Amino acid sequence: MSESSIEPPLRRFSNLRSVRWRVDLGILPCSDSSSIDDLRRAAADSRRRYASLRRRLLIDSHLPADENVSSDLVIDNPLSQNPDSKWGRLFRNAELEKVVDEDLSRLYPEDGSYFQTPACQAMLRRILLLWCIRHPEYGYRQGMHELLAPLVYVLHVDLDHLSRVRKLHEDCFIDVFDGNNSFPDVDLISNYRFQKTNKWDSVPGKGNDSHESTPKTSSIDDLDPETKEIFLLSDPYGAEGELGIILSERFMEHDAYSKFDALMNGANDGVISMAEFFSPALSIGSSSGLPPIIEASSALYHLLSVVDSSLHSHFVELGVEPQYFALRWLRVLFGREFALDDLLLVWDELFASSNHMCIESNTEYSFKLLCSGRGAFIAALAVSMLLHLRSSLLATENATSCLQRLLNFPQNVDMKKLIEKAKALQGLALDVGCSSTSSHFSISKNNLAVRRGYSLPTGSASPKSPNHSLPDSYWEERWRVLHKEEALKKGNKSLGERFNLSRTESDPSPAKNAQTKARAPSATVRRRLFDDSPKDTRKSDADDGRSRCDENPAAPIESVSLSNKADREKQFEEEGSSSGENSSVLSATLSHDESIGNDPENESEKSSVTSNSFIGDNDEESCSQEFIISQAVQEAEAASSSAKAERAGSLLEKSASLKEKKPLSSKLQWLWKFGRASGEANTEKGGAEDSEKQSSVNNGKDSSCCSAPNGTCNSCEATSRRVDVGDTKVMGTLKNLGQSMLENIQVIESVFSEDNLSSSNVLGGKGQATAMAALKELRKISNLLCEM
Amino acid sequence: MVLVLALGDLHIPHRAPDLPAKFKSMLVPGKIQHIICTGNLCIKEVHDYLKSLCPDLHVTRGEYDEDARYPENKTLTIGQFKLGICHGHQVIPWGDLDSLAMLQRQLDVDILVTGHTHQFKAYKHEGGVVINPGSATGAYSSITYDVNPSFVLMDIDGLRVVVYVYELIDGEVKVDKIDFKKNATTHVSH
Repeated sequence: MSESSIEPPLRRFSNLRSVRWRVDLGILPCSDSSSIDDLRRAAADSRRRYASLRRRLLIDSHLPADENVSSDLVIDNPLSQNPDSKWGRLFRNAELEKVVDEDLSRLYPEDGSYFQTPACQAMLRRILLLWCIRHPEYGYRQGMHELLAPLVYVLHVDLDHLSRVRKLHEDCFIDVFDGNNSFPDVDLISNYRFQKTNKWDSVPGKGNDSHESTPKTSSIDDLDPETKEIFLLSDPYGAEGELGIILSERFMEHDAYSKFDALMNGANDGVISMAEFFSPALSIGSSSGLPPIIEASSALYHLLSVVDSSLHSHFVELGVEPQYFALRWLRVLFGREFALDDLLLVWDELFASSNHMCIESNTEYSFKLLCSGRGAFIAALAVSMLLHLRSSLLATENATSCLQRLLNFPQNVDMKKLIEKAKALQGLALDVGCSSTSSHFSISKNNLAVRRGYSLPTGSASPKSPNHSLPDSYWEERWRVLHKEEALKKGNKSLGERFNLSRTESDPSPAKNAQTKARAPSATVRRRLFDDSPKDTRKSDADDGRSRCDENPAAPIESVSLSNKADREKQFEEEGSSSGENSSVLSATLSHDESIGNDPENESEKSSVTSNSFIGDNDEESCSQEFIISQAVQEAEAASSSAKAERAGSLLEKSASLKEKKPLSSKLQWLWKFGRASGEANTEKGGAEDSEKQSSVNNGKDSSCCSAPNGTCNSCEATSRRVDVGDTKVMGTLKNLGQSMLENIQVIESVFSEDNLSSSNVLGGKGQATAMAALKELRKISNLLCEM
Repeated sequence: MVLVLALGDLHIPHRAPDLPAKFKSMLVPGKIQHIICTGNLCIKEVHDYLKSLCPDLHVTRGEYDEDARYPENKTLTIGQFKLGICHGHQVIPWGDLDSLAMLQRQLDVDILVTGHTHQFKAYKHEGGVVINPGSATGAYSSITYDVNPSFVLMDIDGLRVVVYVYELIDGEVKVDKIDFKKNATTHVSH
């Protein structure tokens, strides 16, 4: 319901969730123009279907078989081996009932829970039994009851609401009804009422309780539309009579069944049918040839790899398969992760998303889940849940602790934020789903990307080897940059080479543009994700320049960006921070000639990359060369998978900090420092995966904090140019910056705590102290930013 | 709905090696709630086998039973029905309806199950039923050599009992059904 305010027009029945869900699930007609009578007819039809089904399957089979004496006793006897015999069915149902009962008795077992009342249990049991008997190919699987429970619950809540409204309007109505009997108007509602009063005489009992809900005639138009609606929905004398009452306690079971059936079967040719998630059979129509639940889980990972490649690669490194946790998330549609009230919000959104195939039916698709709005939302929500846990997940060192965090999803989540994020991701998920169908080439590409992700040996992904096959590891890149900086510092490298590095990083923009269009939307969604707040027009000239440079990376415009860069370097100098030394060196060596001169060389290097093999040389020059190559290799690899843009996106947070600095006052200059500090923390985090290497890194860092800033600076340069900043909104980015800083803080904290626990560490007391101080200030600034 | 299996006079291993395979395949655990056995099993292994079909087993003593702890007769109440079990070699003349009716009155039961004659019989008598399930293995008796293996399954549901008779004739299982309704007044008068 919280979401209904966001959607342009207030949705119909926004205060009656059960009715809305029934519309969304396709049980009631969905068009806004359909009259109450249409709704009533549809409701009556679905109830009739359920009633006849129940009679046929549940009641009749228990009836004594007097009438059909003719039935063959050899088949129809209690010991018959024939599964189709009446007795065979009976025993099967009894078996089923036992299993269902076992689960139902544990359904939301809190004290006084509505679900534990005998009436509700009996109803749930009947519904489940009937569905399972009706669909023997699926049978009963644990978890189905948890899908049913919220559906029943919303009906219950709405009926409560109805009785409250009735009470509220009881007195005022009765008074007037007794007082004056005039029925003015030819209003539809008063027509109903008129009819009702006639019948009321003949059927006093029923008329009584219905007229309680009727507001006073003279003021029926005074009533707020909500109450009017409720009245209309509970009017027993409309089309179909009592069977057509939309909100009816008597037909709660019928309604719950039809909702459950629609959810399980994906009513009206829907794409997502929950029943499939319970069946081990291969999914139909999909090219993957996997059971649907596994396929859906990998679709989830696919989306994650597009949105947050670093987290994805972290999972892959740890060997955390998506189905380990997604099985539970998907099968009960997050019912076990959220409290019931939160879950209802999630399902509101979920059902509101269309369940229809959004691509042509005959095209091949790799992920069925991502082919419909609803499926995309499921995947998007799962990914946004993963992102919510991102920092703590990244801090885990083995699969067990990772899964522990995944399977104990925190209860105090800001649902609104989570759902908003999921909605933002939903578009991306759909794009991913559709793009994978655009051509066979891209299908294979996507599959390749995914497969490669899975086939990665977990051990090989250490940052030691520059040529390891993780194409999109954010931490790897970061570490490499850092390492290079160190090498430069030691060897007093020619800085033209160093500039090369940043050039190489910025290069992929043409490649990116040349990519299939699938990436373009994903990039924009990506941006939307990171700065999804109202647009702000504040832009610096430098941003403009850089964005232009991003679009056409030709030499003349390059020079503009370079001058911008030089400006920035000067700013760094003014800062007089500890990085002053490095930045001054950097700015001093930034010359157009060199950079332009290096361009072609760079390109040629890139093209010849594949033939190059890496020589683990200690010489600084070859080392930096090697880095250029490895970067290029990375680019090439990344270009082949769509994950490239996303890496840029993950760096966006950092670059945002750069951009913010300029428009903001000089007081905020120290923000840059903190940005660096957080960058350093990230490096540290990355390094934590390989403690040996980390030691040297950390030592270097502890001594002077100089190398890390440079690394960050370089990568930021690159990404800021790569990202189209034309429509970057300062406010939005600031907000996100604050969030990302918070995340960074968490990472630092977790790393520290682990370090402290583990052993005497590379981090000396001093380093720790400084980091702690940085931490404090990070907190401060994140608060400040969040307030802004 | 309660299923009660009634059988007896297996005479394993003296007169028959085992239950017929067709019967064995039909008798599976999980369906039957009670077993009534009239006696002459005769060894403990058969007792164990019956126990594996259903743990609620009631046995009375036949003249060839090794286990002397079985009672001569036994009564139990299932649903609205009171059942009496006796092997029947004590009731003379063997298999005589009047003598059995006397035992039925004596035990004050609605359904009396006896054995010993190795012949399936079911009588509705004086508002009750007298059933002889026959020999489940088809073992010969001192009365006749020509015995078809048979047993009885009672489906007790409220005031109604449906007796299914399983008989193995020429290698085929033949099923028969007898309906019996107890009227509530009879019950009250008891």
